[in-house]
Amino acid sequence: MSFLQPAMLFALPAIALPIIIHLINQRRFQTVNWAAMQFLLTANKMSRGYARIRQWLILAARTLAVAGLLFAVARPLSSGLLGIAAGGQTDTTIVLLDRSASMTQRGPEGESKLQSGLNQLVDSLNLLPSGRYVLIDSATGKPQEFESPEDLLKAAESKPVSATADLTKMLETTEEYLRSNRPSRCEVWICSDVRKADWKPDSGQWETVRRSLLELPQMIRIHLLAYPDIDKRNRSLRVTSVQRIQREQGAELLLSLRIEQGATENELTRFPIRLEIDGARSEFEVEMSGSQFDLVNYAIPIDSNQTRGWGRVSIPSDSHPADNEYFFVYDQSVERKTWIVAEDPEAVVPLKLVASVPPQPNILCSATILTPKQVIGTADDQPALVIWQAAIPAPDTPLASWLKQVKAPILFFPPEQIGGESYAGVGWTQWREKESKVSTWVGDQGLLSSTQSGAALPLGELTVQRAAGIQGATISLATLDGDAPLLSQAITEQGEVYFMGTTVAPTASSLATDGIVIYAIIQRAIAIGTQTQGNTRQLIAGTTPPPRGQGWQQIAGNSQSLSTDYPLHAGIYRDGERLLAVNRSEAEDQAFIVPRDQVTSLFGDLDFDRIDDRAGNSSSLIQEIWRLFLIGMLIALIAEAALCLPKRVKSKRVSIADQAGSDRPLGQGSAT
Amino acid sequence: MLGDNRNRRFLDPQALARLASMPLMARRTMVGSVSGMHASPHRGASVEFAEYRRYIPGDDLRRLDWRAYGRTDRYYVKEFEADTNLRMCLVLDTSGSMAFGSEQVTKLEYARRLAGSLAYLAVQQGDAVGLTCIGKEITRSIPPRRTAPHLRGINDVLQHTEATGETELVARLHEFAETTRGRALVVILSDLFVEPGSLREVFDHLRFRKHDVAVFHLLDPQEFEFEFRRPTKFVDLEGGTALLADPSDITDRYQKALEDYLQQVRKIVLESAVDYHRITIDEDYEQVLLRFLSGRLRGRGLR
Repeated sequence: MSFLQPAMLFALPAIALPIIIHLINQRRFQTVNWAAMQFLLTANKMSRGYARIRQWLILAARTLAVAGLLFAVARPLSSGLLGIAAGGQTDTTIVLLDRSASMTQRGPEGESKLQSGLNQLVDSLNLLPSGRYVLIDSATGKPQEFESPEDLLKAAESKPVSATADLTKMLETTEEYLRSNRPSRCEVWICSDVRKADWKPDSGQWETVRRSLLELPQMIRIHLLAYPDIDKRNRSLRVTSVQRIQREQGAELLLSLRIEQGATENELTRFPIRLEIDGARSEFEVEMSGSQFDLVNYAIPIDSNQTRGWGRVSIPSDSHPADNEYFFVYDQSVERKTWIVAEDPEAVVPLKLVASVPPQPNILCSATILTPKQVIGTADDQPALVIWQAAIPAPDTPLASWLKQVKAPILFFPPEQIGGESYAGVGWTQWREKESKVSTWVGDQGLLSSTQSGAALPLGELTVQRAAGIQGATISLATLDGDAPLLSQAITEQGEVYFMGTTVAPTASSLATDGIVIYAIIQRAIAIGTQTQGNTRQLIAGTTPPPRGQGWQQIAGNSQSLSTDYPLHAGIYRDGERLLAVNRSEAEDQAFIVPRDQVTSLFGDLDFDRIDDRAGNSSSLIQEIWRLFLIGMLIALIAEAALCLPKRVKSKRVSIADQAGSDRPLGQGSAT
Repeated sequence: MLGDNRNRRFLDPQALARLASMPLMARRTMVGSVSGMHASPHRGASVEFAEYRRYIPGDDLRRLDWRAYGRTDRYYVKEFEADTNLRMCLVLDTSGSMAFGSEQVTKLEYARRLAGSLAYLAVQQGDAVGLTCIGKEITRSIPPRRTAPHLRGINDVLQHTEATGETELVARLHEFAETTRGRALVVILSDLFVEPGSLREVFDHLRFRKHDVAVFHLLDPQEFEFEFRRPTKFVDLEGGTALLADPSDITDRYQKALEDYLQQVRKIVLESAVDYHRITIDEDYEQVLLRFLSGRLRGRGLR
């Protein structure tokens, strides 16, 4: 329990007053010469029973009454679970607000987690005075001061967005703010639904953040206001692909989508799917049972003259409205170009073949083999994929500059002669001759993810005779026996950069002979690169910097959002000639909650406490409960008064006289 | 007869004058030295016929009933009841507890009034009065006499008696019973703060010695009511252990102990045929005596 006026607690020893007065009263006795000691001594030997208990009860009631008064004056708060610091005003209160799409999940009362969290924070912060209030929201990631807790509710930075949060970044920002502003005493409130997508509990950044916060000289207390509830009946919708097909009889869109629901219901449920293509709305019903439903290449006829446009798919709203709609844009098919840069063109012929074969008949694919010298100035337009099987160019060379300008994914294969150069901090180590198999790979996402039907890529059938090591900061997507990397993704801000540990040469691996794996890798990389081409783009909310200049124009989406925040909100936007569809990340649809123990371990030795709330909860986290203490005091006083009331008996003298029969002399007339 | 006794502060001449109209009667037969107004177990020369008895040699021929001889031709002696005087022994408890009095008078002072008045009334009607003061020991013992100077002596003792020291009431009463010869009216004036069980033996002992026992059980109103508000240290007037007690804590149990004691005393006096009078010392002693005298008048001694 904490108190708003903790100084009053220094008066707590006053609860001993009744006891002291009792003891003093005991010492202030009167002395009486007494004859009937015989009865007093007898009475003293009798069991005191209720009389003794009554005395203690009276004393206890008086003590409780004083204690109740003192506690009431100290203005107690019902915040035992939070363990808020008792006493002393906080210098700075920092609120870390998770604005991710998942925080829009509503409770039974219809209030979202974000709104509930804000209300709770405002109520709590109003009771806990602070010299300064700072908001660090997950979308902007910038610390912003606000005057009073109520401003939290009005601030645009407290509204939900479609972007995923990054708690480690927010804590890093907190640490930077504290380091630069040096407040004396700081309370950090985190309001989040503790999703794995937002917290990334396996990230190595946590250790760094934790250590940084611990090194700060000031006292920091971290309170987590968690909303971990998941609605198992929630359905989420995601468009997996959209393709415009021009046929002889007209154009049509091939739409593929996936619907997932938490609870596995074997009962067949029927619900509508609403479509909006360039403003034209339609609806069709689907039947679903189980946890996942895939609609593949659903054909929607469109105007032949409509070469590009946008659309929106939605399902009936449930407790989590943010995942009930998805935006997409489409464009006429563009040729998917792949540039293969190799010192030995013969060695990369299989790659050219793989890159040239389109995954679908209506897609045009082409691949061009170039030597490093031919690359510069060869073409102005951007490829969908660059495959580089040559020595990594040294920094500050024209080749290195050209590589940096490439917006498409780059897939590096090791050259025959390995130098010491690196790209994005990643380079090769020497070839190693050893036949090995693929031992592990990441099959749930990325280039090696399973097919749409759920079948895993046959990486286990691959045989690698020669492999070059990969060194640098990478995320390993596939490893060979002995943990040697086969395919890694560089950790860089410059798009998608992959490093393959072997080549397609028959002497190096069976990638060419078992062509499925290399085909899947390259076509998926091309598909990623294709998004950077053309006049339409599918964007993940929060991954694109805010627009500059004239900015974006909203075509569909949340009309309440600010234009500067368009990249954060799902919707359709126009950026000059380009159409942009912004949607939540795939991780937002995965309702994985970080376990309680893991959350606690993330904060390690930091002063951390947590309270779990639920969306729509109207009872405040912190309440002033002095009335309870006053009521307690009154009850104690009434009890004391009742115990002190003298017994209502008739005069003892009369009572005893009646029994003794003193009115008539005894023994009269009985003498013999 | 009051003479010098008029100045005794424990004697009220007017009250005595009012009480003088009531005779002090014994409930049992008395053996006195002179003729009086109390029944005697012996035959005497009063006008009240008792019985005929066969003449035996040695009888006074003057008491032969010649008319009975004429009718029956046998010698009969005609006997009459004898009336004698009373020997009243006042037993005054002078232990420390008798010094207690929450109002104007102490129990000892009250006992003085009762004893002085009874002594006066007895002497006035020709009875003998004695006084025994007992505390831890028998401090004073004046044998019964019926003269006016003797009354003055008793009053002197009453006036100068102080209540002090422990009490050995039971032992001293046994001693008194053993040492007092002849039948007497024994009037005990005490607060009887002893174990009730031991009182039974004392009363039985006195009755065995053919005494007519009357008890004035003196209690102070405060001893009944026990009305104290503050914690109080009770100092034993008889020099015993002092006790510090919170009245609010102990009153109930005190009252309970007192009730138990009085019930036991009541039972004992009923079984011992003691003329028992429990008195709170805020009562008018004249009324108490009036009640005592009238009660005895109703139960005057049977032969």
